[in-house]
Amino acid sequence: MSLTLNRRTFLKAGFTTAAIGAGGLPLEALPAEAKGWNWERSVCRFCGTGCGIRVASKEGRVVAVKGDIANPVNRGLLCAKGYACAQILYGGDRLKKPLLRKKDGKFDKQGDFVEVSWKEAFDVMKEQWSKAHKALGPTGVAVMGSGQYTIMEGYAAAKLVKAGWRSNNLDPNARHCMASAVTAFMQTFGIDEPAGCFDDIELTDTVVAWGANMAEMHPMLWARIIDERLRRPGYRIINLTTYANATSEGADLEIVFKPNTDLAIWNYLAREVVKRGAVDKDYVAKHCVFAAGPADIGFGLREDSLKAYAAEKDTQARQKTVVLTREEAIARGLDPEARHERAQTASGSAQKHWLISFEDFQKGLEPYTLDFVAALAKGDADEPLEAFKAKLVQLADEYANPGRKQVSYWTMGFNQHTRGTWVNEQAYMLHLLTGKQARPGAGAFSLTGQPSACGTAREVGTFAHRLPADMSVDDAGHRKVAEEIWSLPHNTLNPKVGSHITQMMRDLEDGKVRWLWIQVTNPFQSTANANHWIEAARKLDNFIVVSDVYPTLSSKVADLILPSAMIYEKWGGYGNAERRTQLWRQVVLPPGEARSDVWQMMEFSKRFTLAEVWGEQAVPGLEAEGYEKGRLPNVLAAAEAMGHKPGATLYEALFATPAAKKVAWPDPVAFGKPNSTVVHAGIDWFPEKALFEEYRRFGLGHGHDLAPFDLYFKRDVAGLRWPVVDGKETLWRFNDQHDPYAKKGAGIDFYGKAMKKLPMGDLDGVKPGDPVALPGKAKIFFRPWQEPPESPNGTYDLWLCTGRVLEHWHSGSMTRRVPQLHAAVPEALLYMHAKDAEQRGLKVGDLAWIESRRGKIQARVTVGGRNRVPRGLVYVPWFDEGVFINKVTLDATCPISKETDFKKCAVRIAKA
Amino acid sequence: MRRAILLLSCATALLVADSPAKPLRDRDLGLSKGSVFEVPAPPKYTDEGSAPGDKKAPKRVNRETPPVIPHGIADSLPITRSSNLCVDCHDVPGPKKKGEPTPIPASHYVDLRRDPEHRTKQVAGSRVVCTLCHVARTDAPALVANRFRP
Repeated sequence: MSLTLNRRTFLKAGFTTAAIGAGGLPLEALPAEAKGWNWERSVCRFCGTGCGIRVASKEGRVVAVKGDIANPVNRGLLCAKGYACAQILYGGDRLKKPLLRKKDGKFDKQGDFVEVSWKEAFDVMKEQWSKAHKALGPTGVAVMGSGQYTIMEGYAAAKLVKAGWRSNNLDPNARHCMASAVTAFMQTFGIDEPAGCFDDIELTDTVVAWGANMAEMHPMLWARIIDERLRRPGYRIINLTTYANATSEGADLEIVFKPNTDLAIWNYLAREVVKRGAVDKDYVAKHCVFAAGPADIGFGLREDSLKAYAAEKDTQARQKTVVLTREEAIARGLDPEARHERAQTASGSAQKHWLISFEDFQKGLEPYTLDFVAALAKGDADEPLEAFKAKLVQLADEYANPGRKQVSYWTMGFNQHTRGTWVNEQAYMLHLLTGKQARPGAGAFSLTGQPSACGTAREVGTFAHRLPADMSVDDAGHRKVAEEIWSLPHNTLNPKVGSHITQMMRDLEDGKVRWLWIQVTNPFQSTANANHWIEAARKLDNFIVVSDVYPTLSSKVADLILPSAMIYEKWGGYGNAERRTQLWRQVVLPPGEARSDVWQMMEFSKRFTLAEVWGEQAVPGLEAEGYEKGRLPNVLAAAEAMGHKPGATLYEALFATPAAKKVAWPDPVAFGKPNSTVVHAGIDWFPEKALFEEYRRFGLGHGHDLAPFDLYFKRDVAGLRWPVVDGKETLWRFNDQHDPYAKKGAGIDFYGKAMKKLPMGDLDGVKPGDPVALPGKAKIFFRPWQEPPESPNGTYDLWLCTGRVLEHWHSGSMTRRVPQLHAAVPEALLYMHAKDAEQRGLKVGDLAWIESRRGKIQARVTVGGRNRVPRGLVYVPWFDEGVFINKVTLDATCPISKETDFKKCAVRIAKA
Repeated sequence: MRRAILLLSCATALLVADSPAKPLRDRDLGLSKGSVFEVPAPPKYTDEGSAPGDKKAPKRVNRETPPVIPHGIADSLPITRSSNLCVDCHDVPGPKKKGEPTPIPASHYVDLRRDPEHRTKQVAGSRVVCTLCHVARTDAPALVANRFRP
C-alpha cells in the first residue's frame, strides 16, 4: 500500500512538524518544536501489537507521547494504555534505591526493607548466590525473565545464566503467555513464529477470533479490523469465546462454547471440510503430511507433592489416572457405556509424534459429527441447541468456502490451555487442509500478549530449553553453534533443560531452587495456585531478588528489591507479534539510583570468577552424550587455551569481550541521546548495540535474519519484519513470492528444520520402520478433544476464567499508577450471570467469596457490563493485587508447552 | 483551593518517597497495603452516573491524551456497527458551544491509513470504537500520586 504524506496532512491530523520530518532532513536533526519539545521515535510499552510511538522530552523529562503516524502498525493511533506511556514513568512510589531486608544492620529474611547502596546489594546478592550454588549447583539458582525484556536484556540474561552460570534455569513470564504457540509452531512447521503479518487484516475476507478478546487485548488491531469491516460489506468478523465480550459487539457471528470444547469444534470443522470435498488437495499433497501423538498426556500437575492441600488432591490425582467420561469414550470411538480407565502413561513424553495416513486422520475425525459436537460444546445454557448448531454450520460454511480467505486469530484462550499445543495445531490443521496458510490474507495467526514475547522470549531464547534463533540446549549441534559465537569452551553449556517458570515455583517450594532473581515481571501475582509460592518465598530458606520500577506484589515477598530503569530511560528493542523488530533510543535518565537491567546484569557478572562457575559442576539428572552422568565438565583449562585469563570474571568473558569493546560509544546513531548504561558502567563502548550485533549472528542465514542495529534507526524505517535479507523485510514467510528463504517455484515451502524426520504410525502409536525425512512440509495433526483436569461439580459448581482488561497492563504495576486508567477500572470485579448471582443472594456491588480447592479471595460482584458471562461461568481479571485471583486458579499446564491454563478451574461463590 | 490541595498532596508523596528511609515493612509496599497472606475486602466504587453535560469535564492530561468521558456511559454502550450513541451526540460541528456536546475533533475525520489527504464524511473507521482510547471514570481516588508534568 503506497501512502503519501505531506506536512499539511499531518498538521490536519493533529500532528506537529517534529513528528513529520522535513524532506531530506533526518527527523532527529529538526529544530525542536515551539514548546522546546524534542520528539523521538519509540515503541509502546504494552502489548504484542507493537504500536509505534513518538515520545516528547523537555529538560530531561518525558512530557508527551502520541501515536506514530509513520508506523504501519497503528498509523498514529494508540489505545487508552498506549497514551499513558509517559505517565507510567512518574508514579509517586517509583523505586530509586536498592532495598534489602535487614535486622541489626545485617541481611535478615525476617527483617524490614532498608535502603542500601548498590555495592551492598550486590555483595549480599552474590553471597546468597554462592550459598545456594555451593549447596545445589547450577540448578539451585534461577532467573525469572520476561516477554517485556528488551531484546538486549533477554540476550544478556541468556548469556549470564546459560553460558556464565551453566544453568538453564532461565524462564520468562512468556511461558504463561505463548509457550503453547511456540511448541505448536515447532511441531507443525519446524520453526517458530507466524507466517503472516498484520497486513492480513486488510487483505482477508473474514477474521475469526478464537479465545482472543481483541477489542480489549489488542485494541489497535481491533481498530484496524473494525475499520475494514465498515469499509467492506463482504468482510465478516466471527468471535468464538466462552462468554460474550467486547469483541462480540463488533462481530457478525458470536459462538459461545463451553470451556475446553474448542478442540471438538476444530475437529468438527475439519471433518466437514473433508466430507464436503473442500480439502485443497494440491496444497496438501505438495506441502503437508498427517501426524498424531499420544493421547494420555496428563495435565502438567504435580504428582506427589508433599505440600498439596487435602482439597487439591483429587484434581492432582488426574495427573496419573483418568476415567473417561461418556463423551470422551465417544470421541475415542469406544463403548460409551463401559468404564475406561486411562493411566496417563505419556505425561513425560507428550511431545512425541509420528506420521499417520490420511485415512487414519479421517478416522480420528469421524466421531466429531455436528450433533455430537453441538451438544458437547454449547456454552450458553439459555441458547437453543438448534441455534447453536446453525452457528457451527455457518462457521464450517465459512472455512470450507474456497472463494473466501480467513485469518484465524487467537491469544490466551488457546495458549493458556491444558491442551494448548494441540489446539494451536488444530488451527493450522484447518488452514493447511484448505490451503489457506502462508498466503496474503489467509492464515492461522497466533497473536502475542507481550511487547517482546516474540522479539525476546522466543527469538533470543530466554526459555529454559532454548538458545537463540530457535535452537535448543539439548541439541549438541545447537550448543556447539552457541559455544562458538559466545567463545566458550566445548561443553560449557548445560545440555539438561532447566525448570520452566511454574516448575521454578515448585522447586522453590521443594527447596530445589534457593536463589531467584526476578526481572521485568511480577510472578508471585501472575503464577497460578499462588498460596503455595508466597508461602515458599517467605517461610523457607531462600533468597529472592526483584528488579522492578515500582513495588509489586513480588517485591513484597522479596528479600532484595533493585530499582530498574523504564522503557524510555534506556536503549532497547522489542519484537512484536508480526515479527517486526523495533529499536529505540534512550530519551531521559532513570530516576535516583535506578539502573538499566543490562547494567545490573553486567555489574553483577563482575562478581564471578571463571574458576567459580566453569569448574566441574554437579547437575542432578544430567544425561547426555559426551557428558559424565550428572556432571558438567571442568572447562577452565580449555578456557585458558582460548585466551580467557584464569582470574577473569564473567563480565570479561561474556560482556566486555574484545569484539564488544570495539562497538564504541559515543556513536553517531545516538544523535546526541544519552546512554545511562555506559555512564553508570564507566565504559567507552555501547553494550546494547554490542549485544544486539552479537545476537544477530545467530539468526543470519538461518531464516531469522535481523538487520544491522543502525538500520532500525533510519528515518524511513518503522521496524522491520524478519527475515530481513538485503535490507528487505518479509511479509509472508514460506511463500516464494515473498520469502527469500522459500525455494523459488515451490509456491509454498515450509522450510523449518526442527522435528522433520518422523516414523510412521497410526492413531494408537508408532509402527516399526525407519523415520521419513519431511523437507518443505508442514504437519496436519489429528488432536482429540478431552476433558480438562478440573470441571465444575457439586462442591465447586462454577467455571472460573481469568484474563485482562483494556485499561490495565498485566499485574497493573504501571497502569494502576496512571490516574485516569485507575479511575476507569479501579479494581477487579467478579463478572457473574444475573441468575447465578441471584441464586447466591448477591447483588451488583456486593462482596463475594470466590473459593477453589486451592484458596479463596473476595471480590465485588457485577452482572452485565463488558463481559456478559453465561450461567455457570464467572470471570475475574488478574491485574489487581487486592483481588488476588491467582490464589484461586489451578497450576495445570499443557504437558507439551508447560503453559498454565488460567482460563478454567472450578470455584464456588458465596456472599461475604 | 483544589489546586493547593493537589500540590500539597503531591508534596507529601514526594517527601514520603524521597526521604531516606525508616525501615519499610513489606505490608506497606505496593498498591494494596497489607500482608500477602491476608485476604482484603476490596473497597466499593461507583461508576460515574451523571447525564451528559451535568458535570464539568475533568482536566485533560494534555493535548496528546484523549479526554476522559465525563458522564455516565452505561446507557450508551455497547458500540456496535448499527449503533454508536457517542457519535450520535458528539458528531457536531465545532467549536464547542456552551451546553452542547463536545464536538469530535477534525483529526477523527481522516483515514490515516489509506487517505490521509482528505476529510472523511464520517468518523474514521479506526476511531469508531470510542472506548478503545477514551476511558470512563468512577469515584475511585488515585492510589498513588503521579508526577507526570505535561
